[in-house]
Amino acid sequence: MFCDEALDAIEPIAAGDLTPDGRIADHLATCPNCAAALDSARRLERMLQARPVPRPTPQFTSRTVARLRRVRWRTEQFLDVGFNVAIAAIVLAIVGGIWMLLNRSGLAAVSSDAVDLFGSGMMALVRRVAPSVPLYAGATAVLATALGLWWWAERDATL
Amino acid sequence: MQAVNERELVERCRSGDEGAFQELIDRYKDLVFALIARTVQDRSRAEDLAQEVFLRIHRGLPYFRGEARLSTWIYRIVANVCVQEQTRPRAPGASVSLDDARTGERVVPPAADRQFGDLELRDRLEKAISRLPANYRLLIAAHYLDGVQYDDLAEALDLPLGTVKTQLFRAKQQLRRLLETELK
Repeated sequence: MFCDEALDAIEPIAAGDLTPDGRIADHLATCPNCAAALDSARRLERMLQARPVPRPTPQFTSRTVARLRRVRWRTEQFLDVGFNVAIAAIVLAIVGGIWMLLNRSGLAAVSSDAVDLFGSGMMALVRRVAPSVPLYAGATAVLATALGLWWWAERDATL
Repeated sequence: MQAVNERELVERCRSGDEGAFQELIDRYKDLVFALIARTVQDRSRAEDLAQEVFLRIHRGLPYFRGEARLSTWIYRIVANVCVQEQTRPRAPGASVSLDDARTGERVVPPAADRQFGDLELRDRLEKAISRLPANYRLLIAAHYLDGVQYDDLAEALDLPLGTVKTQLFRAKQQLRRLLETELK
């Protein structure tokens, strides 16, 4: 038997997967190089078996669940935005369609009267609301800051 | 019995029961974390990747057909995450050299005690393992964990049993070469 043959069997022997038969056993008994290789393979096997098993931190489960909730929340937000955009697009398409229909059917004059009516109504509303604009703007700013802070805290919360 | 419990757990997770998913995490976190932490040196990165594995499990559960055991399916996900981590671009200087411990000034006590020697040896073993290819690292990590059989590995990695054994022996041959001095 040659050393190459014996060396191929070193790892399985060291791992206990192979029992050296007569020829291999004889070779290992007489060849110092192969015997040394088997010794080192057995030592490596012991080292690998004694390798410490890393354990996760006690908070691992709660952190993972928190991360899962955040991912889910973001996905839902993304879907919400997508849904809102889709609704806005549909509304725009409907309004555009109606407008085109009115134009083509000669009802544009009626529609322009309706637009004028709507415009004058809006102007009256604006004139009534104008004095309170700074108050609304302030409230909106406070609300936007609170929402911004909440979003930031949610995003950077420690896992 | 275990298989029935596993099926029930999967069904509960699928129906959106968060408690069931927590139970699943508790059941498999040691295994998942140990596998990853033995493959990836950085502990916080390992925790991040272990969490990523559970997120993928959560996403994939609706498509889990139950043809393989749940643990096998989880090994497969861990293997994919580890291989992807291996191909991730790294910061310069992040590679580990076995000679790291030899370069630079070191103060070695004249009569180094056994504990110090063991620690150093363990450190060199970890460095040697980190130099193995990703698939070899994963095999070494998984094979020396309690309860992980050759068959589990073969099924998880979608490899024939013989190939798993051969790759494992080759991995150990490479390790022996890398640790030639230490193993004498």
